[in-house]
Amino acid sequence: MTDPLTAGEVVARIKKNLGFPWRESSRRDTFKFGGPDTVVKGIATTMFCSYDALRRAVEAGCNMIIPHEDTFWNDPDDISVVSADPSYQPKVDFLRQHDMVIFRIHDHMHAQRPDFTYVGLARALGLESRYETAPQSHHFTLPETTLGELAANFQKRLNDKAIRVVGDPKCKVSRLQLGVGYATPDINSPDVDVVVSGEQQESDGTLDSPAYVLDATTLGVPKGWIMLGHCVSEQQGMLEMAQWIKSFTPEVPVQLVPSNEPFWAPK
Amino acid sequence: MHSISRRRFVSLAAAGVVTAPTALKALPAGSLTAQDVVDRIKKNLGVEWKADSVDTFKAGDPSAAVTGIVTTALASLDVLAQAVKVGANMIVTSEPTFFARADTPTPAPRRFPRTAGAAPDAAPPTARSPDPVFSGKDEFIRKHNLIVWRFSDHWRQRTPDPFAQGLANVLGWSKSAGGDPRQLTIPQTSLEALVSHVKQSLKSRGGIRVVGDPKLRVGKVAILPGSTPIQASLKALPGVDTILAGEVREWESVEYVRDTVDLGGKKSLVLVGRIVSEEPGMQLCATWLKTIVPEVKTTWVAVPDPYWRPTL
Repeated sequence: MTDPLTAGEVVARIKKNLGFPWRESSRRDTFKFGGPDTVVKGIATTMFCSYDALRRAVEAGCNMIIPHEDTFWNDPDDISVVSADPSYQPKVDFLRQHDMVIFRIHDHMHAQRPDFTYVGLARALGLESRYETAPQSHHFTLPETTLGELAANFQKRLNDKAIRVVGDPKCKVSRLQLGVGYATPDINSPDVDVVVSGEQQESDGTLDSPAYVLDATTLGVPKGWIMLGHCVSEQQGMLEMAQWIKSFTPEVPVQLVPSNEPFWAPK
Repeated sequence: MHSISRRRFVSLAAAGVVTAPTALKALPAGSLTAQDVVDRIKKNLGVEWKADSVDTFKAGDPSAAVTGIVTTALASLDVLAQAVKVGANMIVTSEPTFFARADTPTPAPRRFPRTAGAAPDAAPPTARSPDPVFSGKDEFIRKHNLIVWRFSDHWRQRTPDPFAQGLANVLGWSKSAGGDPRQLTIPQTSLEALVSHVKQSLKSRGGIRVVGDPKLRVGKVAILPGSTPIQASLKALPGVDTILAGEVREWESVEYVRDTVDLGGKKSLVLVGRIVSEEPGMQLCATWLKTIVPEVKTTWVAVPDPYWRPTL
């Protein structure tokens, strides 16, 4: 009889299969709840470790969650920031009740080659590799289209209800730079017409893209900026992450439990 | 202060018109300089001035005479052109002019200096490369001798918070404010109806995003314009039905409200965008400036919601 699979063993196999040494300095990629001794019945990857995703993971028979983002509403998952809030304890109680274990994979997912967040998003958007300027450049030269058509196409493909676009819908675009999550590329690169990404601070950053695109439009410099939302943009690659983990944990079921888009938008 | 002011000063000094300490005296009698306007703001605001602040001149000559003032949430090229049209040469903006907190007329080195085909690490630094949008804006400002001054850190320190007060006014909720416009009690309505009212009142195009049940009954509202960190959301949400905010970090407040809703909390979050959330506060700024700078005309210029959205 084989020993039951533990969370510690799953993490050891992740580290072994990454293709590069584990960075012990990562504060993100650690256990956020439970620990290495928990016996794993099933593994769910997800984007945000929301209560809703946890509940659906349990329904699917998974007690080990591998999310890309935080569990407790702040990037370092600093419990002292949130523990006094009425929503904190019920979430912890649910985790405990279902003998769950959470191990985040963020920094190492982005350092891995390929970075599955880009692979997944390009797949979901229909950005075929034949359009990519160079492998893993995330820069695509597409048949010329308009910003309006491109954005409408992406919204349909992702069913992205709260997508936001800045720029002239009639602006002709072809050269696309893909970003994910908060790693939104700079819109002022000369070889980029349109940036597609997840989230970016609206102003007071290092390059305030909405203001830049407004003025570029006024000056006749064709630029477009498409924000898919943080969750929608990185959610896609958690499917590739699930498939990869499945390849070295044959003992248990592994699946994607999607984090749904958190927003709705008024008509 | 940028080179334009130095250049003007040098030319004036060379002509024997001014020396540094008496520069103001060279102006026509009775004229008001941009620096005078800022000094009056500092004197009348009722907020202690901080040395480390973004509230500084971003372009133009502070010692130039002011022909008129425009306040705005964002000194976009469109807004600058409207200022020129109404004969105003001083622009007071709450957001940066040159597309970054650093607010300099040349771009900062790019964070993602990816040249197509090159490995990300192989690309040389692209520091201060010419950028047609930065330089186009800078040229427009120079050509029209505009003066841009940012007013953000200190304006929001005023009590009551003018950005929240401005939103409350525009949304027709100012009578409900029992002193602090950041915490309002409004007539009960559904979240859906509230969002529709907010969208119409703020002339929002595609910038609104909502977390929560559209049928939720809403009566208590926290108004948090600008950028809201998780700590502020955690503080506000337990006491209200909805937070109306400019922008948040999605991995913080959006997920916090999502979890709270899914755990049974009758709560919600309405994001309108940072620039849109600061518009009414800069409208109030124009009203206030008129009272302390009566010599020149002050006009508020609106910025349309930068965002739009295709429909599914």
